[in-house]
Formats: sequence, structure tokens, C-alpha cells
Amino acid sequence: MNEGLHNGPAIEASGLVKRYGDEVVAVDGLDLSIPANRIYGLLGPNGAGKTTTISILTTLLEPTAGYARVLGLDVVKEAGDVRQRVGVTFQEMVLDDELTGRQVLDYHGRLYRIGRVERQARTEELLALVELVQAAERKAKTYSGGMKRRLELARALMTTPEVLFLDEPTLGLDPQTRARIWEYLHHLKEEGGMTLLLTTHQMDEAEELADTVGIIDRGKLVVEGTPQELIDEMGADTIHVIGDGERDAFVETVKRLPFVQTVEVGRTVIQIGVDSGSKRLAEIISEATGSAFVVEDITVSKPSLGDVFLKYTGRRLRHTDGNRTRHRMSLMG
Amino acid sequence: MAATATLWKKQMRKFLANPEEMFGLMIQPILWVVLFGAGMKSMLSPDTAGSEAPYVTFMLPGIVVLSALGGAIGGGSVWLTERLRGIVKGYLVAPIPRLSILMGHALSTLTKSMLQAVIILSVGVVLGARLNANPLGWLGGLLLVAGFGLGFSGIALSIASQTDNPGAYHAMIMVFNLPLLFLSNALYPLATMPTWMRIGSLLNPVTYTTDGLRQMMFRDPSALAGSDPLPLWLCWLVVLGFASLGTWLAYAAFKKSIK
Repeated sequence: MNEGLHNGPAIEASGLVKRYGDEVVAVDGLDLSIPANRIYGLLGPNGAGKTTTISILTTLLEPTAGYARVLGLDVVKEAGDVRQRVGVTFQEMVLDDELTGRQVLDYHGRLYRIGRVERQARTEELLALVELVQAAERKAKTYSGGMKRRLELARALMTTPEVLFLDEPTLGLDPQTRARIWEYLHHLKEEGGMTLLLTTHQMDEAEELADTVGIIDRGKLVVEGTPQELIDEMGADTIHVIGDGERDAFVETVKRLPFVQTVEVGRTVIQIGVDSGSKRLAEIISEATGSAFVVEDITVSKPSLGDVFLKYTGRRLRHTDGNRTRHRMSLMG
Repeated sequence: MAATATLWKKQMRKFLANPEEMFGLMIQPILWVVLFGAGMKSMLSPDTAGSEAPYVTFMLPGIVVLSALGGAIGGGSVWLTERLRGIVKGYLVAPIPRLSILMGHALSTLTKSMLQAVIILSVGVVLGARLNANPLGWLGGLLLVAGFGLGFSGIALSIASQTDNPGAYHAMIMVFNLPLLFLSNALYPLATMPTWMRIGSLLNPVTYTTDGLRQMMFRDPSALAGSDPLPLWLCWLVVLGFASLGTWLAYAAFKKSIK
């Protein structure tokens, strides 16, 4: 696992740009510096550039401008060395359906030239880790979505990578499976000393897993920090208001209220950070009435990374179900 | 290259685990020989310049070559599927030479074609075709078919690397398929063709492969059914050239698709 120590960030990128033709800019000047043995969550909506970023960092795509290094190795010039030391799980799960679980792991190990004895040992170890021992002799196409994700994770771990990249690791899974996978990932970092970079559009995943979160939107990194730091900026509670009418007047009035900590105005939602949602709800509503602003919808919640996203981008981090735009990124997704 | 061997093994493993594909592979050539041969025999016997060789002998090499064509198309289809399902990404992230990704696929397609060729020839022998007693003859013949298979696999793979949907792939491949099939001496001898067809056939690698195969594999010279055989060295040259062209096209398209 350790072929010579590398001091410095495990993953770094500087001014990373990926342009397709003249119109599509998937990544627009991205900088990253991720220390070793960290879990970094790249949080953003679909189309933000997460998958493209991971494709560049894992040597699948070459950047149009800027550079990136993994474990000190340039992803373009030293691609072969990078490939030797990283593992990747893909959003669409690149498992060969026609093979059995055990075969998938075995062939993957062979590609990395892992000797037979070690390969067999690792295969059994990983099958046990992801709890697929009983299904190991069945073809992967008979597996449920959750099982396929676990096999995909085991596949990426076959080679004991120093850095693990995960693109939407729990997409479309039920809560229990998600929790289990999160547990494995924590374990990998704690016990295995791995560095993990995951991309997700699900804020609970970022909140639960990441030591550091980077919010990405339209190919750029908008803000970075620990989940707690980012959330703390929002106030103790958040009141979300959607309505119609004299919006600007209402916002001005609200800003002057003593208990209001922050006000963010998005396209449809006004996000008000307060000290206690339940106590202040009535006041907000009466202010609205006073300002000729009709409240159509109002909710109180603990702030989330979704609220942070709204603050920095003016848009909601909507939960879509993998409707990816396919453009020319046919192979790379 | 170890990676090529691993990927070849993987494709063969998938093939062996898939009984439908295996069945299709075996039955298809047998059907070709039996049905086509039986039908054509009665139609053409008087025309094949008084030769005693049954039509089966004449068309057997053509069928071998055509099944190699079909195999190459199938191989391209597998490649397209693996590309679209993202499986190729799994290979690209691995520390293996880019070329071995392509080669593992091409070689497994070739292996299946060779299997089919052996089956076809066996059935042909059962039906009366007489093979050259010299084993080098029919081994050389198989090599020729392999060269052709590699060439067409290359074209199929290059198309499969550039399309995004199976419909487009098959449409494009069909553009090649039919002319290659009919504008050749696989089904009827060059001598009996109108001039324009003969010219077209002489531009077709299928013609050279089939002719070379006939010369190398069959004991009975009248299997050549009245047409002058093309010089053997020319057949080899064309096939080797075709194989190189196909490989280059496939590799170029592949490299472009991973930018």
C-alpha cells in the first residue's frame, strides 16, 4: 500500500478547466487541496461538474487547462502511476453483469497484476466485508441495487488503493444500505488510513461522511469548510418562506428584526436564519402581512448544507434522481 | 501482454457462461452450409463448368469468411455495450496499456470466429468437401481468415467507438455488410460476373480471403470452378494489409473516444 511516502496533499488541483468545444464548460477553474487521510465531500447538483472532476482526477479525462496531482503524481504525465494507486467507484457501477461476484473481483485483481494467492485472499476478505459471500457465486445481474453497490465498492478496494474516489456512492439506495456503506467508508478512513473523495448531491450524505465539504456549482468551487462550520454560519434555525407580493419591502423589514441572523434571497425561497424557529414564526408571518407580502408556504428547520448551497448559489440543491445530461461526454458520463 | 490475456480470458469466460450465444454460434454456420448449399447445388450444378466438386466445396470458404464477418459485427456490438454500460471505464482506470483493452476484445472475437470456422469446415467435410491433405494448407487458410477477421473487427470496433447507440452502430455496419457479401466471389465465381461486379469484387478483401482459402484448403482444384485463381501472394498481401488497416482504424477511434 505504501510505495514511498508522499508529503503534501493527497489530492490537489489548480485552475482545473474542462471545456467541450466552445459551448460546454464542465469545470471552470477548480482548485483543491485535500490532505491525506481525510474524507472530502464534493457536494453539488447534477451537472455541477462533479463527475467530470473525478474523471480528470482518475485519469479518464485530460483537463483543458490547469493541472491536478494525486499523491504528488501528475494525472496527465504520470497517469499510469496514478492508476496503480487509486480506486474508483462509478456512478453507473461498472460491473460486468454476466460474471459472478467472485469473478468480478478476481478479474479486477488480475488487471492490477495481483498474484493468485493474494488475489484469492483479498477476494474472500472483501466479500466478507461487504457481506456478499453467499451471493458470490451468482451472476452480478441477479444482484439488487444495494448488492451491486457493495460489489462495486469491493471491486474498488481490491487493489488497496491509497486514495479512493467515489462518484455518488449511495445513489438510489434504501436508508439501511446507505447507512451500512457510510459505515464502511468511515472504517476505511479510520482503520485503513485511506483518503476518500466522494461526490454527491445528497446533503445528508455530505453531512454524515465528510470531514470537509466543498460545494461545487457550475464547474466552480463555491465554498469549502467542515459541515459544521458551514452550517453554523446559517444561524440556529432556518425559516423558509415562499410567497408573493412586495418581496423587497418584506426582506428589508425582516433584516431589521433583532433575532434574525441571516437573510438569503433565492429565486423563490427566502431563507431566514433565526435563533429559534418555533418562537419567531408568528412574528415573521405578521411582518409579512404588514409588508403586503402573501405567504404561500413557510417551514422551519435546522439548517442543512442545502441551505448553505442556497446561500452561496441562490438556488436550491434539488434532489433529482440521476437525470444526467449526456452531451458529448458519452464515454465519460 | 498480460492484460490482453486477462481481458481475452474474461470475454471467453462470459461467452462460455452464455449458452444462448454458444448455441447460436454453432448452429448458424451449420444452417448456412446445409440450407444454402442444398438450395444452390441443384440450381448451379450444370453451370459450374463441368466440375465434379459439389457446390458445397465451392462455397464453403465463402461461408467461413462470411461467418468471420458476422463474428466481427458481434464483437463490435459487445464492445459498444461495454462502452455504454461503463465497463470500459473500469479498464481505463486500471494500470494497463490502452492497446490491450482493444486487443483483448479483438482477440476474443477472433477466437470465436475460428471456432465457427472449424465447425463450418467439419460440417462441410461431412457433406462431401475434400480438404487438402497437408495440414499446413488448412492452418494457413485459418490464418488467412483470422487476418480478415482482424481487419473487419477493426472496422466494427472503430464504428462502435464512435456511436452512442446500438441502432446507429448496426445501421452503419450494414452499409459494409451487404456489399462485402455480394460483391465478392464467395457465392459465385468471378468468371460468371458482369465486368462491373468483377471490378468491385477485386476491390473487396472478402474475394482475396475466399480465394486464398480455396487454394490452400481444398484438394480438388476444380473447386475453383472455372475461374483463374488469384495469385496466392496477392491474397496474403491484401489480407495482411486489411488486418493492419482495421487495427489502425480501431486504435485511432478508441484513442479519440477517450479524450
